[in-house]
Amino acid sequence: MARRYDTKTTIFSPEGRLYQVEYAMEAIGHAGTCLGILAEDGILLAAERKNTNKLLDDVIFSEKIYRLHDNMACSVAGITSDANVLTGYLRQTAQKYHLIYQECIPCEQLVMQLCDLKQQYTQFGGLRPFGVSILYMGWDPHYGFQLYQSDPSGNYGGWKATCIGNNHQAAISMLKQEYKDTPTLKEALDLAIKVLHKTLDSTKLNSEKVELASLTREGEGPNAKTVIRVIPGEEVDELIKKYQEMVEAKKREEKEKEKEREATKME
Amino acid sequence: MSNIFEYNGSAVVAMVGKECVAIAADRRLGMQAQTVTTDFKKIYEMNNKLYVGFYGLATDAQTVSNRLKFQLNLYQLRENRLIKPKAFMHMVSNLLYSRRFGYYFIEPVIAGLDPKTNDPYIATMDLIGCPMETKDFVVAGTCSEQLYGMCESLWKPDLEPDDLFETISQALMNAVDRDAVSGWGAVVQVIEKDQITTRTLKSRMD
Repeated sequence: MARRYDTKTTIFSPEGRLYQVEYAMEAIGHAGTCLGILAEDGILLAAERKNTNKLLDDVIFSEKIYRLHDNMACSVAGITSDANVLTGYLRQTAQKYHLIYQECIPCEQLVMQLCDLKQQYTQFGGLRPFGVSILYMGWDPHYGFQLYQSDPSGNYGGWKATCIGNNHQAAISMLKQEYKDTPTLKEALDLAIKVLHKTLDSTKLNSEKVELASLTREGEGPNAKTVIRVIPGEEVDELIKKYQEMVEAKKREEKEKEKEREATKME
Repeated sequence: MSNIFEYNGSAVVAMVGKECVAIAADRRLGMQAQTVTTDFKKIYEMNNKLYVGFYGLATDAQTVSNRLKFQLNLYQLRENRLIKPKAFMHMVSNLLYSRRFGYYFIEPVIAGLDPKTNDPYIATMDLIGCPMETKDFVVAGTCSEQLYGMCESLWKPDLEPDDLFETISQALMNAVDRDAVSGWGAVVQVIEKDQITTRTLKSRMD
């Protein structure tokens, strides 16, 4: 039944759905997970690297996380070639604003402009939508630290914590339970590792499979600067190790409690 | 309004030293005879190892430096590295030539170190982008003849950063003293591989 209404992007189905947009979101559901968490003193983006093929030449800087401007970075999930086009557009838009106003583009403005572009591909031209969802992290003097998510329909929202890509529902439900208001960046990092453990396909999590980047403000007053930092492999490994040790410690506690219970039963 | 280049008044000079470069400019902004401000910025930082100063009309200098930063930011985001000074020179030249028949009234002076090898580099070009790279010094300004004379007599190869600072300062200060529309102080930046020293000089305040 749906076949008659899904070949063109620019028409609605009888139930009021845009099938091409929904199919685009399906495509993103197969891509590597991207996680974003807003903390009190910063924001972090974590992304799963899917291209861990040994034969791949490892010259590329980052597969999923892109610096957009001094004050913003983003992480993408979906069709990589579409993502490259969109990040190029985002960078240009940010620079055009900077050229005119000599200040960094406010985060929501940049997200809005890209979403307006994405929306055009759902209404005009007969071209397919971009198969990319993007998580943006940024700081501006109007609203401080912000985390946004945009999807192929051109909708966007501001979030405290969110996830896109493979297994994102599991991640989001976990975040709903575990995220407590205004965590510190350290707590957010621990939470991110915890969630990634659940959502990643492989059982062993290591720094080669995960890219982690943080955005913070350093300095005081007029000299304060926004710092976007890709967390180096060794630090990521340490965080993973810390989490795994905590899991092991919990397991040991459980075992001891079991033993105690057995012991009391016997008596 | 006989010469639009001399409307605001400026003097910029760059010199090569031993594993360092220095760039200096005066600080006066005027409207022909009237002095408007004595702390006008003529040298712009493009990245932490590359500086460009402009001679000519102040509004064009500001516009061109903004457009250069625009292009440079996109370049550095795409290529994920700092631009080489020579590539930057070509970028400036391209920008100026794109306005071949409606040109910007400026002449840029570029000074920097290669981001990997830290080799010193200086260059200048004319208003429509003809580049000139030298190994010793480049000058631009309403008092360019005076600057050429001063630099030619004072410059020596392989000057240490402190000696280079002295040399470039003396060259600039004495040249602008013989020119009515430039002067009112100077800014000197010495760029070495691990630090940049900025000094402000007080000269004849007239």
